[in-house]
Amino acid sequence: MKELSIYIHIPFCEQKCIYCAFVSYCVNNEIKNKYFQNLKKEIQERKTDREISSIYIGGGTPSCVDAKYIKEILEEVYANYNLKKDIEITIECNPNSVDEEKLKVYKNIGINRISFGVQSLDNDTLKKLGRLHNKDQVVCAINNAKKVGFKNISVDLLLGLENQNIQDFEKQLQELIALDITHISAYMLEVEEGTKLFSMVENKEINLPIPEKTIEIYEKTVNFLKKNGFFRYEISNFSKIGYESKHNINYWKCNEYLGFGVAAYSYFEGYRFSNSINFNEYENKENLLYEKIDNRERIEELIMLGLRCKFGFDFNEIIKLGYDIFLNDNFKKYLDKNILIKEGNWIYLNPDYYGVSNSIICDILP
Amino acid sequence: MDRLDKIRNFCIIAHIDHGKSTLADRLIELAGFVSKRNMQAQLLDSMELEREKGITIKLTPTQLLYKYNNEDYILNLIDTPGHVDFTYEVSRSLAACEGALLLVDASQGVEAQTLANAYLAIDNNLEIIPIINKIDLPSARPDEIKQEIEEVIGIEAEDAPCISAKNGINIESVLEAIVNKIPAPKGNSEEKLKCLIFDSHYDNFKGAICLIRVFDGSVKVGDKILMMQTGSVYEVTEVGIFLPSTKAVDVLKAGDVGYIAASIKNISEIKVGDTITNAEKPAEKPLDGYKQVQSVVFCGIFPVDGAKYNELKDALEKLKLNDASLQYSPEVSQALGFGFRCGFLGLLHLEIITERIEREFDLDIITTSPSVSYNVYKTNGEMIEVSNPANLPPTVEITKIEEPIVKVSVFTPPEYVGAVMELCQEKRGVYKDLQYLDKKRVELKYILPLGEIIYDFFDSLKSRTKGYASFDYEISGFLESDLVKVDMLLNGEKCDALSLIVHREKAYNRGRMVAEKLKKIIPRQMFEVPIQACIGNKVIARETISAMRKDVLAKCYGGDISRKRKLLEKQKEGKKKMRKIGSVEIPSEAFMSILKLDEE
Repeated sequence: MKELSIYIHIPFCEQKCIYCAFVSYCVNNEIKNKYFQNLKKEIQERKTDREISSIYIGGGTPSCVDAKYIKEILEEVYANYNLKKDIEITIECNPNSVDEEKLKVYKNIGINRISFGVQSLDNDTLKKLGRLHNKDQVVCAINNAKKVGFKNISVDLLLGLENQNIQDFEKQLQELIALDITHISAYMLEVEEGTKLFSMVENKEINLPIPEKTIEIYEKTVNFLKKNGFFRYEISNFSKIGYESKHNINYWKCNEYLGFGVAAYSYFEGYRFSNSINFNEYENKENLLYEKIDNRERIEELIMLGLRCKFGFDFNEIIKLGYDIFLNDNFKKYLDKNILIKEGNWIYLNPDYYGVSNSIICDILP
Repeated sequence: MDRLDKIRNFCIIAHIDHGKSTLADRLIELAGFVSKRNMQAQLLDSMELEREKGITIKLTPTQLLYKYNNEDYILNLIDTPGHVDFTYEVSRSLAACEGALLLVDASQGVEAQTLANAYLAIDNNLEIIPIINKIDLPSARPDEIKQEIEEVIGIEAEDAPCISAKNGINIESVLEAIVNKIPAPKGNSEEKLKCLIFDSHYDNFKGAICLIRVFDGSVKVGDKILMMQTGSVYEVTEVGIFLPSTKAVDVLKAGDVGYIAASIKNISEIKVGDTITNAEKPAEKPLDGYKQVQSVVFCGIFPVDGAKYNELKDALEKLKLNDASLQYSPEVSQALGFGFRCGFLGLLHLEIITERIEREFDLDIITTSPSVSYNVYKTNGEMIEVSNPANLPPTVEITKIEEPIVKVSVFTPPEYVGAVMELCQEKRGVYKDLQYLDKKRVELKYILPLGEIIYDFFDSLKSRTKGYASFDYEISGFLESDLVKVDMLLNGEKCDALSLIVHREKAYNRGRMVAEKLKKIIPRQMFEVPIQACIGNKVIARETISAMRKDVLAKCYGGDISRKRKLLEKQKEGKKKMRKIGSVEIPSEAFMSILKLDEE
């Protein structure tokens, strides 16, 4: 049976971070109430018999709303969908907006994975990024999560921050690992148009390192984490063995997902589509963007996403979809040079070349 | 004689952007035969490229009908391309007229092309009517400009009409001036036929047609005509005039401007400047001023997508239909595959053709660095013409190489004389003469290798003289020179399409600059790529493209997937336009960019 995941978008934050380009708003309770009503309606309406293998509640900041909302939403899902026994249910939390009580509620309603938006353990950096927490709150939040029984805890960290160096970063990693976390996502800071960070960079109010430098830190991070039992299974994701994120792997294997909420994307039965980013349009189901993913696009995505991951892509699947990749000269060349590696039916990218993956992917697309 | 009194043949000459096309539009609106709407569609079609390049490529002549003092006058407007590449064609268009409107911008004043064009008109004995345009601009200073025209060009300008072509102010006064000041054509319709071919067009139904001015005699359907320079004879199938669409008439007589169709299959058979006469009663001698037009600049043109060779061939064939001066023949390059070696009148002509191929035929092409044609004398006594540097024989087989040289005259205000002389020296020029034409204008004469002219001379001259200098050149034969071939090696592999022929003294410098430029333009590859410039086996310059810079590793979930896939698709499209030399990917622009080394 093909895998199917559910993504639920909670577009609310206490404050917008300077680098954030996600759809999130700081709004009053009335709007929140209404939003959750609509969300429940959408969850009902899009009901399917398929089994769900993971649920991911992301944002925004899901933890900034009253836990009762999360409970209602999940109950709505439970009432309408069949869940796999080993389902992974993740919620994104900010360290400052969860206490033991809230985490207990999460635990009791079946959530079994917490993803903390930590970003950094340096208090000055956190402040500059517009984050509302500090290092102590991170430690406290992770400890509380463990206390209420969470076994699978992930933290998000940012690479490419102002004044970042490998020594400090390794120290932060060390401290986090000591808290017994199971998963780390280390994302490179992207400066996206329309964000406050973008104008700060333009106005030289912030001095970000060049990609080269960040990649250097990234590569050292990879080694450091490996020594500490965290293995890279995707370009930006590391975990202890067995704690890879099922939900994200689902994306990268081009499996299907249903996205609920404003701006949420779905990929279902050959189409990728998204809800409007506007509350009213979302309520009225207006401004949905549809895109048909045909064989060629599917091939492109299988290659593009697969090569980001340790497992790579299954060339038989590509060939079945109509692209004999072994006829591609570049592909042959990359295999010869050990830039691409073949193992059984699978092709994966030599991790030394993650930094130039875009160019390699382009060369082997149909 | 009554008939001739009612005809005026004229052209408009101007510096770029002084409003030539706009004035033409207004005249056609006021006195033309086309409705405003049709006219726009017609004129604007060809305008895009012209506007960008600031030149007129080719505009159909137009007949205007103007009532003045209760008399009907026929005014024939003949357009002229305004660039040095087309000087000969311009001179033939001017030769078809009795007068010229010299259009000057009321705030800019006299500029380089105003001078060059005005002198061309004076050389052709035309009556020149200065016209001050754009008087509606706040910065307009018509009185000063009139004085400037008188001082700098030396023609009477006091009564010059002050107009705004854009806003239609005073256009009537231009028409009046044309009637009053431009002499009526002379000539005798009873004499033996003499027509000047000043242009040619290709018409899908009529074949190649001659655009002509009748000086003497008359021509009608059924006449046997003789092209006096080529010696070809044809039977006239149609004669007519331009309104500006073609309109057949019974006969064209002395003084008239019109066209002759004579089942001429190929436009190459029509030579601009040639004289048409009646084959049965031929004139004793042709009109003066004929020259055989020759290609002086050559380059390779290749399709980016090798499979589109035939489409490129079609495009060249179609362009050739309307442009006899375009030459081409098939060529094969190791680096670029199958394509064509093409010959042009000059760099601008080259640029126009390549742009038209891209725009009108929607083909992506690669053009190689322009070259001139060299006479290469080989040890076996043979002489070959080499216009593709890749074809230069090995040094041991060459006894000497001759390069084409040109006589150049530069008009410049005195304050730039030093700068112009310096430029000519740099370009291996030999000084010939310097003359003060008046207080504001100096004429400098130099002998220069043509190869140096096509390499950035025009742009350098303009930038060093703030656009005031204009120049003109004529081919004046070949001269032996110490020339060498510089080859470019990428990752150790020679790229034939990047080879250059240069003077030995400049080889080192040029090799270094090309290597630097290639370093800038070739994107980083997966591995380090050395670039070498070599003469024979000797490396004279070396650069290295370092390995590819790493990307930010962006995250990729849900909605990012489509976005990222589209980015990669776009990146892949970009890569398609690259050429591979061995394992190195080179963007198409690299081949042309060699020519623009001096820009930085």
